[in-house]
Amino acid sequence: MQRLIETRELYTDFFTFEGVVKALNGVSIVVNQGETYGLVGESGCGKSVSVRSMMRIVQAPGKIVGGKILLFLSKEDREKGIDILKRSEAYMESIRGNDISMIFQEASTSLNPVLSIGYQVGESFLLHRLDEMLSETIDTLKGEIESGVNIFSRLWKSFQIGMFRNELESYLKYKRRVEEIDRRLYELEDSEDSESVSERNHLNRVRDRLSKKSGLVEFVEHFPVLRRYRKKLNKTVRKHIIMLLEELGVPNPHNIVDRYPHELSGGMQQRIVIAIALACHPTLLIADEPTSNLDVTIQAQIVDLIKLLKKTTISSVLFITHDLGLVAEICDRVTVMYAGDACETTSVTELFEKPLHPYTKGLLRAVPKIDSEGELETIPGTVPNLINPPTGCRFHPRCPHAMEICSKEKPPTVEYSAGHSVACFLYSEKKDM
Amino acid sequence: MILVLFGVSLLVFSIMMIIPPGRRAAIYVKQEKITPQQMEAMIKKYGLDDPAPVQYLRWMKSMLSGNFGYSVTASAPVLDGFKEYFPVTLELVLYATPLIILFGVWLGTIGAVNKDKPIDHATRVFAIIGYSLPTFWLGLILLMIFYGYLGIFPPGVLSNKGKDILFSPSFKRYTYILTIDSILNWRWDMFWDALYHLMLPTINLVLLSSALILRLMRSSMLESLGQDYIRTALAKGADKKTIHNIHARRNALIPVITISGVLFAGLMGGMVITETIFARTGIGLWMARAALQLDLPAIMFNVLFLGTVFVVVNLIVDIVYAYIDPRIRLT
Repeated sequence: MQRLIETRELYTDFFTFEGVVKALNGVSIVVNQGETYGLVGESGCGKSVSVRSMMRIVQAPGKIVGGKILLFLSKEDREKGIDILKRSEAYMESIRGNDISMIFQEASTSLNPVLSIGYQVGESFLLHRLDEMLSETIDTLKGEIESGVNIFSRLWKSFQIGMFRNELESYLKYKRRVEEIDRRLYELEDSEDSESVSERNHLNRVRDRLSKKSGLVEFVEHFPVLRRYRKKLNKTVRKHIIMLLEELGVPNPHNIVDRYPHELSGGMQQRIVIAIALACHPTLLIADEPTSNLDVTIQAQIVDLIKLLKKTTISSVLFITHDLGLVAEICDRVTVMYAGDACETTSVTELFEKPLHPYTKGLLRAVPKIDSEGELETIPGTVPNLINPPTGCRFHPRCPHAMEICSKEKPPTVEYSAGHSVACFLYSEKKDM
Repeated sequence: MILVLFGVSLLVFSIMMIIPPGRRAAIYVKQEKITPQQMEAMIKKYGLDDPAPVQYLRWMKSMLSGNFGYSVTASAPVLDGFKEYFPVTLELVLYATPLIILFGVWLGTIGAVNKDKPIDHATRVFAIIGYSLPTFWLGLILLMIFYGYLGIFPPGVLSNKGKDILFSPSFKRYTYILTIDSILNWRWDMFWDALYHLMLPTINLVLLSSALILRLMRSSMLESLGQDYIRTALAKGADKKTIHNIHARRNALIPVITISGVLFAGLMGGMVITETIFARTGIGLWMARAALQLDLPAIMFNVLFLGTVFVVVNLIVDIVYAYIDPRIRLT
């Protein structure tokens, strides 16, 4: 299967006052094209931090301190992938929301309370689809002029067309330049000699400084009266927003566009968050517990929506949850995480039929079943404090099969059978024998 | 709103009632010596020993009919004195407040965005200095440096040349605010003159008062930068400028507006020290003098006026709130 995004030995730390929280302890996961990938684990095990690291949006005081994140987006770079940790912030901005986007746990706090829904959804279009929006606006304006208007509005409309053309031109120029730089950066990707490293740094800095807008547009934007010409562009964006909202099954989208987040219900807010993420038809959608905090019927609707979108628009979904039932329902492959470690990666059927890692086994036993009687089984002990995590395997203090080596070394990830890898000494020993 | 003003008027009145009738009458005595009988007659004549409610009603009646009494310190009716003094204060406030707010918001944003970097520490040092320096000290130092050593930015309102223009018969006073009037009369030389004199007190106020706005802006900007919606904007691919200017700042401005309103109203109440140091004959100076000389009509009018300013500014703040935060809007 073709890989889409891969993390290799990813380490992310949070530098807090109490000490360094080692939130990720060398996480290696692979999301393939066209699959729904699950990331399971209890709260605080580093699921969210992993995906945020993948998008490079770990907020302060967090920092990615080691590892690689490889991205295999277009045909050309399928071979070796792009290590996004080496790329500029501007490159990440062009990836986020465009190729990879994300939906969040709590829709109500994920939306900006002082901006209208229309603005928040439309921003995605303006950030990544500006050229399409501009040329469409120019076309409508041309159509309006041809259909006959009086001399004044003809002048006004010609002025608008001129401004939009100017903006379009500088945007296309920006895009061409960016493509050039990215191609060169891709060539330099693996070379380590000092010359290419300095060229790489130089190109990254140049890319960060490139401006999307021409000086004229930027100048005009500072004046409220002159800025009015942009209304036509906003109208085009609005049309697209309404189409998008209709696609996502939001009732009465014409009305919703002008609303503010606090006026909508929780389910509707989550749909808006999904709309923001899907505006540019990303290749990968990362869903960070999108259904927690919603009531059950709405949960089902959102899950159905994501399943439907998976079929129609997006190629891959990375689904984070702590609900094993949900995993069974929608995921193809799953990684179980514990305290910043990826313990076990396997297909969803094998996860339930043949769990290998002691933590996975414990987790599955802790799920209530219809025919179970008596008290529910639990995993003894508590989640470790990640400022001083246990040495070796982070699960060993709670593990029923803990051996001497477990507290000394970090278990390597071994492939137990095809498509089923596990990080536990129980299995690496067996392999050796 | 009316209720608040009523309360203010009651309060002002009752404080004034503490002063015995004799003292209150004595303010209007023009001659050097006066017999006790004459004094009694005056108190009787003006009803100064009537029961308090009666006096209050009488006062309110004349206030509402636009008769505010005669101010000894202004040696003119209160309203005329107000017309003379208030524009001087208003002018300074109108120039200083926007600068204070812009400067504070700007520096606060810079501090928050570059948290714990050298530039953030610099803004914090600035804030501490602004917080802790007394107005009179900074004002005197500024005067010493700029006027004393460099010979620029003199104190006062206008230079003699400017005053000649002001009192020339062809000059019409539309608003009593010097800079605006000079533009309306097309006297640019006087405009620059007035602006020249405004410079130092404005600098003084901006340096001292923007520290408050800066601190508030920095902390509220930091708070809103840590919110979930900033993460959403990041995940959308928005650049730093958009995130700071649109997503974070609008949310961060809400508490700043409240304080700005209070600051504005407070400055309107007269900057007694600033006006004294820079010899600007504003409302603060007048009030201070009126209080020392027990110029009751002037004090009472000005306190009532300040109450009104506070109420109106609060109303404006509420309206601006609704503009910035849709959650407050009435549906």
